Amino acid sequence: MGTDVLLSVRGLRKRYRGRTGVQANDGIDLDVAPGQVVGLLGHNGAGKTTLVHQVVGLVRPDAGTITLGGVDAVAHPEVARRKVSIQAQANVPITGLTPRRAIELVGRIRGGDRAAVARRTEDLLDALDLGAWADTRAEKVSGGVARLTSFAMTAVQPGALVVLDEPTNDVDPVRRRLLWAQIRGLADAGHAVLLVTHNVREAERVVDHLAVLDHGVVLASGTPAGLTGTLRGSLTLEVDLPHDGPVTWHPAVDPGASGRLRATGTVPAGRAPEVVAWAQDEVDAGRLERYALTPASLEDVYVRLVGEDRAAEEVAA
Amino acid sequence: MSATRAVPRPDVASAARQTLLLVQWQFRRQSQFLPLMVVVQAFMAVATVVGYGLLVGDPDPLTALYLATGAPTITLITIGLVLTPQLLSQSRTEGSLDWLRTLPVPRTAFLVSDLLVWTLLALPGMVLGVLVGVWRFDVDLTLAPWLVPATLLVSLTAASVGYAMAALLPPALAQLLTQALVFVVLLFSPVSYPAERMPAWLQDAHAWAPIEPMAQLVRAGLASDTFTLPGRSLAVLLAWCAAAVVGAVLALRKRA
Repeated sequence: MGTDVLLSVRGLRKRYRGRTGVQANDGIDLDVAPGQVVGLLGHNGAGKTTLVHQVVGLVRPDAGTITLGGVDAVAHPEVARRKVSIQAQANVPITGLTPRRAIELVGRIRGGDRAAVARRTEDLLDALDLGAWADTRAEKVSGGVARLTSFAMTAVQPGALVVLDEPTNDVDPVRRRLLWAQIRGLADAGHAVLLVTHNVREAERVVDHLAVLDHGVVLASGTPAGLTGTLRGSLTLEVDLPHDGPVTWHPAVDPGASGRLRATGTVPAGRAPEVVAWAQDEVDAGRLERYALTPASLEDVYVRLVGEDRAAEEVAA
Repeated sequence: MSATRAVPRPDVASAARQTLLLVQWQFRRQSQFLPLMVVVQAFMAVATVVGYGLLVGDPDPLTALYLATGAPTITLITIGLVLTPQLLSQSRTEGSLDWLRTLPVPRTAFLVSDLLVWTLLALPGMVLGVLVGVWRFDVDLTLAPWLVPATLLVSLTAASVGYAMAALLPPALAQLLTQALVFVVLLFSPVSYPAERMPAWLQDAHAWAPIEPMAQLVRAGLASDTFTLPGRSLAVLLAWCAAAVVGAVLALRKRA
Protein backbone atom coordinates (compact mmCIF):
# COMPACT_ATOMS: atom_id res chain seq x y z
CA MET A 1 0.00 0.00 0.00
CA GLY A 2 2.68 2.46 1.04
CA THR A 3 2.08 6.02 0.00
CA ASP A 4 -1.28 5.70 -1.71
CA VAL A 5 -3.24 4.87 1.44
CA LEU A 6 -6.55 6.76 1.48
CA LEU A 7 -7.76 6.11 5.01
CA SER A 8 -5.19 5.82 7.72
CA VAL A 9 -6.21 5.26 11.33
CA ARG A 10 -3.61 5.28 14.10
CA GLY A 11 -3.99 4.58 17.80
CA LEU A 12 -7.70 5.35 17.79
CA ARG A 13 -9.31 5.29 21.23
CA LYS A 14 -12.86 6.04 22.27
CA ARG A 15 -14.54 5.46 25.58
CA TYR A 16 -18.26 6.16 26.00
CA ARG A 17 -18.93 7.81 29.31
CA GLY A 18 -21.95 6.96 31.38
CA ARG A 19 -22.88 4.21 33.77
CA THR A 20 -21.57 1.37 31.65
CA GLY A 21 -18.50 3.27 30.36
CA VAL A 22 -17.60 1.10 27.37
CA GLN A 23 -14.10 1.29 25.90
CA ALA A 24 -15.35 0.93 22.32
CA ASN A 25 -12.02 1.49 20.54
CA ASP A 26 -8.81 0.75 22.38
CA GLY A 27 -5.96 1.72 20.07
CA ILE A 28 -6.95 0.81 16.51
CA ASP A 29 -4.56 0.96 13.55
CA LEU A 30 -6.04 0.48 10.09
CA ASP A 31 -5.23 1.40 6.48
CA VAL A 32 -7.42 1.30 3.39
CA ALA A 33 -6.01 2.05 -0.06
CA PRO A 34 -7.88 2.97 -3.26
CA GLY A 35 -8.83 -0.10 -5.26
CA GLN A 36 -8.84 -2.25 -2.15
CA VAL A 37 -11.62 -3.98 -0.21
CA VAL A 38 -10.64 -4.17 3.43
CA GLY A 39 -12.78 -6.37 5.62
CA LEU A 40 -13.31 -5.48 9.25
CA LEU A 41 -14.46 -8.58 11.10
CA GLY A 42 -15.79 -8.57 14.60
CA HIS A 43 -18.75 -9.58 16.72
CA ASN A 44 -21.45 -7.15 17.84
CA GLY A 45 -19.93 -4.60 20.18
CA ALA A 46 -16.37 -5.13 18.93
CA GLY A 47 -16.17 -1.41 18.12
CA LYS A 48 -16.85 -1.47 14.37
CA THR A 49 -19.62 1.12 14.25
CA THR A 50 -17.80 3.43 16.66
CA LEU A 51 -14.80 3.35 14.34
CA VAL A 52 -16.97 4.20 11.33
CA HIS A 53 -18.75 7.04 13.15
CA GLN A 54 -15.42 8.60 14.04
CA VAL A 55 -14.33 8.59 10.40
CA VAL A 56 -17.32 10.76 9.42
CA GLY A 57 -17.26 12.99 12.48
CA LEU A 58 -20.36 11.77 14.31
CA VAL A 59 -18.20 10.61 17.22
CA ARG A 60 -15.10 12.38 18.51
CA PRO A 61 -12.13 10.15 19.37
CA ASP A 62 -10.44 10.44 22.78
CA ALA A 63 -7.03 9.82 21.23
CA GLY A 64 -5.45 8.84 17.95
CA THR A 65 -5.54 10.16 14.40
CA ILE A 66 -7.70 9.61 11.34
CA THR A 67 -6.26 10.79 8.04
CA LEU A 68 -8.41 10.69 4.95
CA GLY A 69 -6.77 11.57 1.67
CA GLY A 70 -4.16 13.58 3.52
CA VAL A 71 -6.74 15.52 5.56
CA ASP A 72 -7.08 15.31 9.35
CA ALA A 73 -10.63 13.93 9.58
CA VAL A 74 -10.95 14.64 13.30
CA ALA A 75 -10.23 18.35 12.84
CA HIS A 76 -12.21 18.68 9.59
CA PRO A 77 -15.20 16.33 9.71
CA GLU A 78 -16.97 18.29 6.96
CA VAL A 79 -14.08 17.58 4.57
CA ALA A 80 -14.06 13.93 5.61
CA ARG A 81 -17.80 13.61 4.90
CA ARG A 82 -17.27 14.77 1.33
CA LYS A 83 -14.83 11.92 0.80
CA VAL A 84 -16.87 9.14 2.40
CA SER A 85 -20.17 7.47 1.66
CA ILE A 86 -21.63 5.15 4.24
CA GLN A 87 -24.13 2.33 4.31
CA ALA A 88 -25.24 2.19 7.92
CA GLN A 89 -25.85 -1.07 9.73
CA ALA A 90 -29.53 -0.27 10.19
CA ASN A 91 -31.48 0.41 7.03
CA VAL A 92 -32.15 4.06 6.41
CA PRO A 93 -35.90 4.55 6.80
CA ILE A 94 -37.27 5.64 3.44
CA THR A 95 -41.00 5.18 3.98
CA GLY A 96 -42.90 7.45 1.64
CA LEU A 97 -40.21 7.13 -1.04
CA THR A 98 -39.62 4.46 -3.68
CA PRO A 99 -36.19 2.80 -3.93
CA ARG A 100 -35.50 4.64 -7.20
CA ARG A 101 -36.51 8.03 -5.77
CA ALA A 102 -34.45 7.50 -2.61
CA ILE A 103 -31.34 6.45 -4.54
CA GLU A 104 -31.65 9.39 -6.94
CA LEU A 105 -32.25 11.96 -4.21
CA VAL A 106 -29.21 10.82 -2.24
CA GLY A 107 -27.08 10.85 -5.40
CA ARG A 108 -28.09 14.44 -6.05
CA ILE A 109 -27.67 15.51 -2.43
CA ARG A 110 -24.14 14.10 -2.68
CA GLY A 111 -23.56 16.50 -5.56
CA GLY A 112 -24.31 14.30 -8.57
CA ASP A 113 -25.70 15.74 -11.77
CA ARG A 114 -29.38 14.83 -12.31
CA ALA A 115 -28.98 12.91 -15.58
CA ALA A 116 -25.83 11.07 -14.50
CA VAL A 117 -27.46 10.08 -11.22
CA ALA A 118 -30.58 8.80 -13.01
CA ARG A 119 -28.41 6.66 -15.29
CA ARG A 120 -26.31 5.28 -12.47
CA THR A 121 -29.47 4.53 -10.45
CA GLU A 122 -30.92 2.60 -13.37
CA ASP A 123 -27.65 0.65 -13.73
CA LEU A 124 -27.57 -0.23 -10.04
CA LEU A 125 -31.23 -1.27 -9.99
CA ASP A 126 -30.50 -3.54 -12.96
CA ALA A 127 -27.27 -4.92 -11.56
CA LEU A 128 -28.92 -5.79 -8.24
CA ASP A 129 -32.04 -7.16 -9.97
CA LEU A 130 -34.29 -4.64 -8.20
CA GLY A 131 -36.19 -3.56 -11.31
CA ALA A 132 -39.45 -5.08 -10.11
CA TRP A 133 -39.32 -3.08 -6.87
CA ALA A 134 -37.79 0.14 -8.17
CA ASP A 135 -41.03 2.09 -8.18
CA THR A 136 -42.79 0.41 -5.28
CA ARG A 137 -43.26 2.45 -2.13
CA ALA A 138 -40.69 1.53 0.49
CA GLU A 139 -43.24 0.38 3.08
CA LYS A 140 -44.20 -2.46 0.72
CA VAL A 141 -40.72 -3.85 -0.04
CA SER A 142 -39.01 -6.71 1.83
CA GLY A 143 -36.04 -6.34 4.17
CA GLY A 144 -33.65 -7.65 1.56
CA VAL A 145 -34.79 -5.14 -1.03
CA ALA A 146 -34.54 -2.35 1.55
CA ARG A 147 -30.98 -3.47 2.33
CA LEU A 148 -30.00 -3.44 -1.34
CA THR A 149 -31.64 -0.03 -1.78
CA SER A 150 -29.58 1.26 1.09
CA PHE A 151 -26.45 -0.13 -0.61
CA ALA A 152 -27.42 1.59 -3.86
CA MET A 153 -27.95 4.87 -1.98
CA THR A 154 -24.32 4.56 -0.88
CA ALA A 155 -22.96 3.47 -4.25
CA VAL A 156 -24.90 5.86 -6.51
CA GLN A 157 -22.45 8.72 -5.99
CA PRO A 158 -19.74 6.99 -3.98
CA GLY A 159 -17.06 8.89 -2.07
CA ALA A 160 -13.38 8.09 -2.44
CA LEU A 161 -13.96 5.85 0.60
CA VAL A 162 -17.05 3.65 0.71
CA VAL A 163 -17.96 2.15 4.08
CA LEU A 164 -20.40 -0.76 4.06
CA ASP A 165 -21.69 -1.98 7.40
CA GLU A 166 -23.12 -5.52 7.05
CA PRO A 167 -24.34 -4.97 3.47
CA THR A 168 -25.52 -8.57 2.94
CA ASN A 169 -27.89 -8.83 5.92
CA ASP A 170 -31.37 -10.04 4.86
CA VAL A 171 -30.30 -10.33 1.21
CA ASP A 172 -31.24 -13.55 -0.62
CA PRO A 173 -28.41 -15.82 -1.88
CA VAL A 174 -28.86 -14.94 -5.55
CA ARG A 175 -28.81 -11.18 -5.02
CA ARG A 176 -25.95 -11.56 -2.54
CA ARG A 177 -23.75 -12.64 -5.42
CA LEU A 178 -24.86 -9.62 -7.44
CA LEU A 179 -24.13 -7.43 -4.45
CA TRP A 180 -20.62 -8.86 -3.95
CA ALA A 181 -19.92 -8.18 -7.63
CA GLN A 182 -20.97 -4.55 -7.16
CA ILE A 183 -18.79 -4.19 -4.06
CA ARG A 184 -15.83 -5.61 -5.95
CA GLY A 185 -16.71 -3.27 -8.83
CA LEU A 186 -16.47 -0.22 -6.56
CA ALA A 187 -12.92 -1.18 -5.63
CA ASP A 188 -12.00 -1.96 -9.22
CA ALA A 189 -13.21 1.53 -10.18
CA GLY A 190 -10.66 2.96 -7.74
CA HIS A 191 -12.67 3.46 -4.58
CA ALA A 192 -11.35 2.35 -1.23
CA VAL A 193 -13.91 0.03 0.34
CA LEU A 194 -14.14 -0.69 4.05
CA LEU A 195 -16.42 -3.66 4.58
CA VAL A 196 -17.69 -4.20 8.10
CA THR A 197 -19.14 -7.66 8.58
CA HIS A 198 -19.34 -10.79 10.62
CA ASN A 199 -20.20 -12.89 7.62
CA VAL A 200 -16.72 -14.37 7.59
CA ARG A 201 -17.31 -17.00 4.93
CA GLU A 202 -18.59 -14.70 2.22
CA ALA A 203 -16.21 -11.85 2.96
CA GLU A 204 -13.26 -14.18 2.48
CA ARG A 205 -13.85 -14.31 -1.28
CA VAL A 206 -14.09 -10.57 -1.84
CA VAL A 207 -11.65 -8.84 0.48
CA ASP A 208 -8.02 -8.06 -0.27
CA HIS A 209 -7.11 -7.41 3.30
CA LEU A 210 -8.68 -8.23 6.64
CA ALA A 211 -8.60 -6.89 10.15
CA VAL A 212 -10.12 -8.81 13.03
CA LEU A 213 -11.50 -6.50 15.71
CA ASP A 214 -12.25 -7.62 19.25
CA HIS A 215 -12.85 -5.49 22.33
CA GLY A 216 -11.81 -2.40 20.42
CA VAL A 217 -8.44 -3.80 19.36
CA VAL A 218 -7.23 -5.19 16.03
CA LEU A 219 -6.26 -8.76 16.97
CA ALA A 220 -4.85 -9.69 13.60
CA SER A 221 -4.64 -8.28 10.12
CA GLY A 222 -3.40 -9.49 6.77
CA THR A 223 -4.56 -11.04 3.53
CA PRO A 224 -7.06 -13.91 3.81
CA ALA A 225 -4.33 -16.33 2.68
CA GLY A 226 -1.86 -14.89 5.15
CA LEU A 227 -4.30 -15.17 8.02
CA THR A 228 -5.21 -18.76 7.23
CA GLY A 229 -1.52 -19.56 6.71
CA THR A 230 -1.12 -20.66 10.31
CA LEU A 231 -3.75 -23.29 9.72
CA ARG A 232 -2.32 -24.49 6.40
CA GLY A 233 -1.84 -28.22 6.50
CA SER A 234 -4.86 -28.74 8.68
CA LEU A 235 -8.46 -29.53 7.83
CA THR A 236 -11.69 -28.90 9.65
CA LEU A 237 -13.90 -31.85 10.57
CA GLU A 238 -17.58 -31.06 11.05
CA VAL A 239 -19.89 -33.65 12.53
CA ASP A 240 -23.64 -33.78 13.15
CA LEU A 241 -24.73 -35.83 16.15
CA PRO A 242 -27.90 -37.90 16.46
CA HIS A 243 -28.28 -36.84 20.12
CA ASP A 244 -26.93 -34.26 22.56
CA GLY A 245 -23.69 -35.03 24.27
CA PRO A 246 -19.92 -34.96 23.90
CA VAL A 247 -18.19 -36.58 20.92
CA THR A 248 -15.58 -39.20 21.50
CA TRP A 249 -13.12 -37.93 18.90
CA HIS A 250 -10.49 -39.90 17.03
CA PRO A 251 -7.10 -39.24 18.75
CA ALA A 252 -5.88 -37.26 15.71
CA VAL A 253 -8.67 -34.68 16.07
CA ASP A 254 -8.10 -31.49 18.03
CA PRO A 255 -11.58 -30.65 19.40
CA GLY A 256 -12.98 -27.24 18.53
CA ALA A 257 -16.35 -25.54 18.93
CA SER A 258 -19.34 -27.65 19.79
CA GLY A 259 -23.01 -26.84 19.95
CA ARG A 260 -26.30 -28.66 20.10
CA LEU A 261 -26.09 -31.72 17.83
CA ARG A 262 -23.00 -30.31 16.15
CA ALA A 263 -19.25 -30.22 16.73
CA THR A 264 -16.08 -29.31 14.89
CA GLY A 265 -12.44 -30.20 15.29
CA THR A 266 -9.13 -29.72 13.48
CA VAL A 267 -7.31 -32.55 11.73
CA PRO A 268 -3.70 -32.56 10.43
CA ALA A 269 -3.92 -33.11 6.67
CA GLY A 270 -1.58 -36.13 6.84
CA ARG A 271 -3.94 -38.03 9.14
CA ALA A 272 -7.09 -37.23 7.17
CA PRO A 273 -7.46 -40.77 5.69
CA GLU A 274 -7.60 -42.52 9.06
CA VAL A 275 -9.95 -39.87 10.46
CA VAL A 276 -12.28 -40.29 7.47
CA ALA A 277 -12.23 -44.05 8.00
CA TRP A 278 -13.03 -43.53 11.70
CA ALA A 279 -15.84 -41.08 10.91
CA GLN A 280 -17.38 -43.46 8.38
CA ASP A 281 -17.35 -46.23 11.00
CA GLU A 282 -19.02 -43.89 13.50
CA VAL A 283 -21.74 -43.07 10.95
CA ASP A 284 -22.28 -46.77 10.22
CA ALA A 285 -22.52 -47.43 13.97
CA GLY A 286 -25.09 -44.63 14.31
CA ARG A 287 -22.97 -42.51 16.63
CA LEU A 288 -22.70 -39.71 14.02
CA GLU A 289 -25.40 -38.43 11.62
CA ARG A 290 -22.96 -37.12 9.03
CA TYR A 291 -19.48 -35.65 8.73
CA ALA A 292 -17.60 -33.30 6.43
CA LEU A 293 -13.93 -32.52 5.99
CA THR A 294 -13.11 -29.03 4.67
CA PRO A 295 -9.98 -26.89 4.28
CA ALA A 296 -9.28 -24.61 7.24
CA SER A 297 -11.18 -21.40 6.60
CA LEU A 298 -11.00 -17.85 7.72
CA GLU A 299 -13.87 -18.68 10.00
CA ASP A 300 -11.61 -21.11 11.88
CA VAL A 301 -8.98 -18.40 12.23
CA TYR A 302 -11.61 -15.95 13.42
CA VAL A 303 -12.93 -18.45 15.96
CA ARG A 304 -9.43 -19.07 17.29
CA LEU A 305 -8.73 -15.36 17.57
CA VAL A 306 -11.84 -14.09 19.30
CA GLY A 307 -12.47 -17.17 21.41
CA GLU A 308 -14.85 -19.98 20.74
CA ASP A 309 -17.71 -19.11 23.05
CA ARG A 310 -18.41 -15.74 21.57
CA ALA A 311 -17.62 -16.76 18.03
CA ALA A 312 -20.05 -19.67 18.28
CA GLU A 313 -22.95 -17.36 19.05
CA GLU A 314 -21.90 -14.78 16.47
CA VAL A 315 -21.12 -17.06 13.54
CA ALA A 316 -24.31 -19.00 14.14
CA ALA A 317 -26.36 -15.80 14.20
CA MET B 1 -19.16 5.60 -12.09
CA SER B 2 -17.15 8.23 -13.88
CA ALA B 3 -18.88 11.10 -12.08
CA THR B 4 -17.80 9.78 -8.71
CA ARG B 5 -14.69 11.79 -8.05
CA ALA B 6 -16.44 15.13 -8.53
CA VAL B 7 -16.71 16.05 -4.87
CA PRO B 8 -18.86 19.20 -4.67
CA ARG B 9 -17.31 22.35 -3.31
CA PRO B 10 -19.03 23.76 -0.25
CA ASP B 11 -20.27 26.94 -1.89
CA VAL B 12 -23.51 28.74 -1.21
CA ALA B 13 -25.16 27.57 -4.42
CA SER B 14 -24.57 23.92 -3.72
CA ALA B 15 -25.64 24.36 -0.08
CA ALA B 16 -28.91 25.93 -1.29
CA ARG B 17 -29.38 23.11 -3.78
CA GLN B 18 -28.78 20.51 -1.08
CA THR B 19 -31.22 22.28 1.22
CA LEU B 20 -33.97 22.12 -1.40
CA LEU B 21 -33.21 18.46 -2.07
CA LEU B 22 -33.47 17.77 1.66
CA VAL B 23 -36.83 19.59 1.68
CA GLN B 24 -37.91 17.27 -1.11
CA TRP B 25 -36.67 14.27 0.87
CA GLN B 26 -38.61 15.34 3.98
CA PHE B 27 -41.79 16.19 2.08
CA ARG B 28 -41.80 12.93 0.18
CA ARG B 29 -41.08 10.92 3.31
CA GLN B 30 -44.03 12.57 5.06
CA SER B 31 -46.21 12.53 1.95
CA GLN B 32 -48.59 9.96 3.39
CA PHE B 33 -49.36 12.08 6.44
CA LEU B 34 -48.97 15.53 4.92
CA PRO B 35 -52.66 16.05 4.11
CA LEU B 36 -53.60 14.85 7.59
CA MET B 37 -51.06 17.17 9.21
CA VAL B 38 -52.36 20.14 7.27
CA VAL B 39 -55.92 19.24 8.24
CA VAL B 40 -54.99 18.87 11.92
CA GLN B 41 -53.15 22.20 11.87
CA ALA B 42 -56.11 23.91 10.24
CA PHE B 43 -58.42 22.28 12.74
CA MET B 44 -56.30 23.51 15.65
CA ALA B 45 -56.24 27.03 14.30
CA VAL B 46 -60.01 27.06 13.84
CA ALA B 47 -60.58 25.36 17.20
CA THR B 48 -58.50 28.01 18.95
CA VAL B 49 -60.70 30.75 17.55
CA VAL B 50 -64.05 29.03 17.94
CA GLY B 51 -63.19 27.33 21.25
CA TYR B 52 -61.98 30.49 22.95
CA GLY B 53 -65.07 32.16 21.59
CA LEU B 54 -67.19 29.65 23.50
CA LEU B 55 -65.18 30.24 26.67
CA VAL B 56 -65.61 34.00 26.65
CA GLY B 57 -69.16 34.16 25.28
CA ASP B 58 -69.90 37.35 23.41
CA PRO B 59 -66.61 39.24 23.46
CA ASP B 60 -66.16 42.99 23.25
CA PRO B 61 -64.35 44.22 20.10
CA LEU B 62 -60.88 44.34 21.69
CA THR B 63 -61.16 40.83 23.19
CA ALA B 64 -62.41 39.63 19.83
CA LEU B 65 -59.42 41.15 18.09
CA TYR B 66 -57.09 39.42 20.57
CA LEU B 67 -58.76 36.08 19.88
CA ALA B 68 -58.71 36.49 16.11
CA THR B 69 -55.05 37.53 16.01
CA GLY B 70 -53.91 35.02 18.65
CA ALA B 71 -54.95 31.94 16.71
CA PRO B 72 -52.30 32.17 13.97
CA THR B 73 -49.58 32.70 16.58
CA ILE B 74 -50.71 29.59 18.41
CA THR B 75 -50.58 27.61 15.16
CA LEU B 76 -47.05 28.79 14.41
CA ILE B 77 -45.81 28.15 17.93
CA THR B 78 -47.32 24.68 18.28
CA ILE B 79 -45.90 23.59 14.94
CA GLY B 80 -42.47 24.86 15.87
CA LEU B 81 -42.37 23.84 19.49
CA VAL B 82 -44.32 20.59 19.28
CA LEU B 83 -44.35 19.09 15.80
CA THR B 84 -40.73 19.87 14.95
CA PRO B 85 -39.27 18.22 18.08
CA GLN B 86 -41.65 15.26 17.75
CA LEU B 87 -40.54 14.56 14.21
CA LEU B 88 -36.90 15.15 15.00
CA SER B 89 -37.15 12.77 17.99
CA GLN B 90 -38.80 10.24 15.71
CA SER B 91 -36.02 10.52 13.16
CA ARG B 92 -33.45 10.14 15.94
CA THR B 93 -35.21 7.02 17.24
CA GLU B 94 -35.61 5.39 13.83
CA GLY B 95 -31.98 6.13 13.03
CA SER B 96 -32.40 8.32 9.99
CA LEU B 97 -30.93 11.41 11.65
CA ASP B 98 -27.56 9.75 12.24
CA TRP B 99 -27.44 8.55 8.68
CA LEU B 100 -28.47 11.92 7.25
CA ARG B 101 -25.69 13.47 9.30
CA THR B 102 -23.12 11.32 7.48
CA LEU B 103 -24.02 13.12 4.23
CA PRO B 104 -21.71 15.89 3.00
CA VAL B 105 -24.27 18.58 3.74
CA PRO B 106 -23.64 21.73 5.82
CA ARG B 107 -25.26 21.23 9.24
CA THR B 108 -27.28 24.43 8.83
CA ALA B 109 -28.91 22.91 5.71
CA PHE B 110 -30.69 20.35 7.92
CA LEU B 111 -32.09 23.11 10.10
CA VAL B 112 -33.10 25.35 7.19
CA SER B 113 -34.74 22.50 5.26
CA ASP B 114 -36.76 21.38 8.28
CA LEU B 115 -37.81 24.96 8.99
CA LEU B 116 -38.95 25.38 5.40
CA VAL B 117 -41.00 22.19 5.59
CA TRP B 118 -42.69 23.17 8.85
CA THR B 119 -43.34 26.74 7.81
CA LEU B 120 -44.96 25.60 4.58
CA LEU B 121 -47.02 23.11 6.59
CA ALA B 122 -48.15 25.79 9.03
CA LEU B 123 -49.26 28.26 6.38
CA PRO B 124 -52.67 26.84 5.41
CA GLY B 125 -53.76 26.54 9.05
CA MET B 126 -52.55 30.00 9.80
CA VAL B 127 -54.41 31.62 6.93
CA LEU B 128 -57.54 29.66 7.69
CA GLY B 129 -57.31 30.65 11.36
CA VAL B 130 -57.21 34.31 10.41
CA LEU B 131 -60.15 33.98 8.03
CA VAL B 132 -62.28 32.12 10.58
CA GLY B 133 -61.38 34.70 13.22
CA VAL B 134 -62.50 37.53 10.99
CA TRP B 135 -65.73 35.75 10.19
CA ARG B 136 -66.54 34.56 13.72
CA PHE B 137 -65.80 37.80 15.57
CA ASP B 138 -66.51 40.20 12.77
CA VAL B 139 -63.28 42.14 13.22
CA ASP B 140 -61.47 44.31 10.71
CA LEU B 141 -57.81 43.56 10.11
CA THR B 142 -55.22 45.93 8.72
CA LEU B 143 -52.27 43.91 7.46
CA ALA B 144 -48.84 45.44 7.88
CA PRO B 145 -46.50 45.21 4.89
CA TRP B 146 -43.97 43.30 7.00
CA LEU B 147 -46.44 40.62 8.05
CA VAL B 148 -44.80 37.87 5.98
CA PRO B 149 -41.22 38.33 7.24
CA ALA B 150 -42.64 38.70 10.76
CA THR B 151 -44.40 35.34 10.51
CA LEU B 152 -41.20 33.79 9.21
CA LEU B 153 -39.30 35.15 12.20
CA VAL B 154 -41.88 33.71 14.60
CA SER B 155 -41.84 30.39 12.79
CA LEU B 156 -38.03 30.28 12.69
CA THR B 157 -37.69 31.06 16.39
CA ALA B 158 -40.32 28.56 17.52
CA ALA B 159 -38.94 25.80 15.32
CA SER B 160 -35.34 26.46 16.35
CA VAL B 161 -36.22 26.32 20.04
CA GLY B 162 -38.07 23.07 19.40
CA TYR B 163 -35.21 21.74 17.30
CA ALA B 164 -32.58 22.52 19.90
CA MET B 165 -34.72 20.86 22.58
CA ALA B 166 -35.21 17.71 20.54
CA ALA B 167 -31.56 17.55 19.55
CA LEU B 168 -30.17 18.01 23.05
CA LEU B 169 -32.67 16.15 25.25
CA PRO B 170 -33.44 12.42 25.32
CA PRO B 171 -36.40 11.77 22.95
CA ALA B 172 -38.86 10.77 25.69
CA LEU B 173 -38.12 13.87 27.76
CA ALA B 174 -38.34 16.13 24.71
CA GLN B 175 -41.81 14.73 23.91
CA LEU B 176 -43.07 15.26 27.46
CA LEU B 177 -41.70 18.78 27.62
CA THR B 178 -43.21 19.80 24.32
CA GLN B 179 -46.59 18.50 25.42
CA ALA B 180 -46.36 20.52 28.62
CA LEU B 181 -45.40 23.54 26.54
CA VAL B 182 -48.61 23.31 24.52
CA PHE B 183 -50.56 23.88 27.72
CA VAL B 184 -48.43 26.84 28.67
CA VAL B 185 -48.84 28.35 25.22
CA LEU B 186 -52.58 27.72 25.00
CA LEU B 187 -53.61 28.81 28.49
CA PHE B 188 -50.86 30.59 30.36
CA SER B 189 -49.42 32.88 27.74
CA PRO B 190 -50.60 36.34 26.72
CA VAL B 191 -51.37 35.27 23.16
CA SER B 192 -55.14 35.34 22.88
CA TYR B 193 -55.68 37.75 25.79
CA PRO B 194 -53.86 40.82 27.16
CA ALA B 195 -50.93 40.25 29.52
CA GLU B 196 -52.57 42.34 32.27
CA ARG B 197 -54.93 39.48 33.06
CA MET B 198 -52.06 37.33 34.28
CA PRO B 199 -50.56 37.47 37.78
CA ALA B 200 -47.59 39.84 38.03
CA TRP B 201 -44.98 37.10 38.42
CA LEU B 202 -46.17 35.38 35.26
CA GLN B 203 -46.10 38.73 33.43
CA ASP B 204 -42.49 39.15 34.57
CA ALA B 205 -41.60 35.69 33.36
CA HIS B 206 -43.18 36.32 29.99
CA ALA B 207 -41.24 39.57 29.66
CA TRP B 208 -38.16 37.40 29.09
CA ALA B 209 -39.77 34.46 27.27
CA PRO B 210 -40.23 34.45 23.49
CA ILE B 211 -43.98 33.71 23.43
CA GLU B 212 -45.34 37.17 24.23
CA PRO B 213 -43.11 38.94 21.69
CA MET B 214 -44.21 36.42 19.06
CA ALA B 215 -47.86 37.15 19.82
CA GLN B 216 -47.24 40.90 19.79
CA LEU B 217 -45.46 40.71 16.47
CA VAL B 218 -48.20 38.74 14.73
CA ARG B 219 -50.92 40.85 16.38
CA ALA B 220 -49.30 44.10 15.24
CA GLY B 221 -48.80 42.62 11.79
CA LEU B 222 -52.45 41.63 11.44
CA ALA B 223 -54.11 44.63 13.12
CA SER B 224 -51.57 47.38 12.67
CA ASP B 225 -54.22 50.05 13.39
CA THR B 226 -54.81 48.83 16.91
CA PHE B 227 -51.55 47.25 18.07
CA THR B 228 -47.91 48.25 17.90
CA LEU B 229 -44.85 46.21 18.60
CA PRO B 230 -42.71 47.47 21.51
CA GLY B 231 -39.05 47.74 20.50
CA ARG B 232 -38.06 45.73 23.56
CA SER B 233 -40.22 42.80 22.46
CA LEU B 234 -38.55 42.72 19.08
CA ALA B 235 -35.15 42.74 20.77
CA VAL B 236 -36.16 39.86 23.08
CA LEU B 237 -37.51 37.89 20.13
CA LEU B 238 -34.41 38.46 17.99
CA ALA B 239 -32.19 37.42 20.90
CA TRP B 240 -34.19 34.19 21.32
CA CYS B 241 -34.09 33.56 17.61
CA ALA B 242 -30.32 33.99 17.45
CA ALA B 243 -29.73 31.86 20.54
CA ALA B 244 -32.07 29.11 19.34
CA VAL B 245 -30.56 28.95 15.85
CA VAL B 246 -27.04 28.82 17.29
CA GLY B 247 -28.17 26.15 19.79
CA ALA B 248 -29.81 24.05 17.09
CA VAL B 249 -26.77 24.24 14.79
CA LEU B 250 -24.41 23.41 17.67
CA ALA B 251 -26.62 20.46 18.56
CA LEU B 252 -26.41 19.23 14.97
CA ARG B 253 -22.64 19.62 14.97
CA LYS B 254 -22.20 17.86 18.30
CA ARG B 255 -20.05 14.74 18.24
CA ALA B 256 -20.65 11.97 20.75
